[in-house]
Amino acid sequence: MQVDPGLWWGADMDAESFLSYFDDKRFIPDLRSRTKESVLGELSRALADDDEIRNPAVLLEMIRRRESLGSTGLGKGVAIPHGRSTAAADTRVVFGVSRRGVDYAAPDGEPCRLFFLIVAPYEDPRHEYLPLLGKIVELVNEKPLREKLLAGQTFAEFQATIREAMGERPGA
Amino acid sequence: MSDRVHDLVALQDLELMIRDAQDPASKEKEEALGFAVHGLEELQKARETVVKKIPPRDLRLYERIRGKYQRVVVPVRSRICLGCFQALPTMATRAVSENGPLPTCENCGRILYWL
Repeated sequence: MQVDPGLWWGADMDAESFLSYFDDKRFIPDLRSRTKESVLGELSRALADDDEIRNPAVLLEMIRRRESLGSTGLGKGVAIPHGRSTAAADTRVVFGVSRRGVDYAAPDGEPCRLFFLIVAPYEDPRHEYLPLLGKIVELVNEKPLREKLLAGQTFAEFQATIREAMGERPGA
Repeated sequence: MSDRVHDLVALQDLELMIRDAQDPASKEKEEALGFAVHGLEELQKARETVVKKIPPRDLRLYERIRGKYQRVVVPVRSRICLGCFQALPTMATRAVSENGPLPTCENCGRILYWL
């Protein structure tokens, strides 16, 4: 995973804006799936509780097809399946951790343990999608952050880790 | 969501993905972030498979609307068409019968998909 230091996407996104795409209901600290196919299904099912998404199966279909374009495994144990769909009214992220790791056809051949599934609307009038994707890629490039995300068990810990990584402290 | 609308959503999503993969600027951005973008043929095949599932009448309507708008199938939220942002009449329904007309917006004519 190599990040172009000149990337500007998401550079001005603050921690609270970033965290607004996540939710406790879309936080999975112990993914059960052991294959790429099943982990995509497990992550997509977390979207079913969302008022804006009535049919996560449609989004899963889109995410699977995006994978046929090339694996969204970045290496270093991170995968960011993502895509835009008519079936998403707003941008949402599901975060999941696999303790065992999943063979995700990542470029370095390492199993993936950290998963960020991003779904975004067909149209992106607020230009959220690429900045969000870029910010996640930038953050997970840091080994200490990856280790903290792996160790976290609760959504509150996840939020605190992100705030710390983005230079903000609770109550600051 | 009916299978008929589902297939049109799948077609539209695929066409968006193909367009992004063919667009040098979009492709460059994805690749700069570290994502592989090389399986365009697979997407083209998937599109053909989806097209074969769609009744000719629905496909003709889809193509006709696409001649006017880039986005043919649009979500409905709180009875608002998210294509033209006009309120739908109270009699508008999400129900789609097997052979009946697809739900469309009275104002813009796009095919409606209820969230």
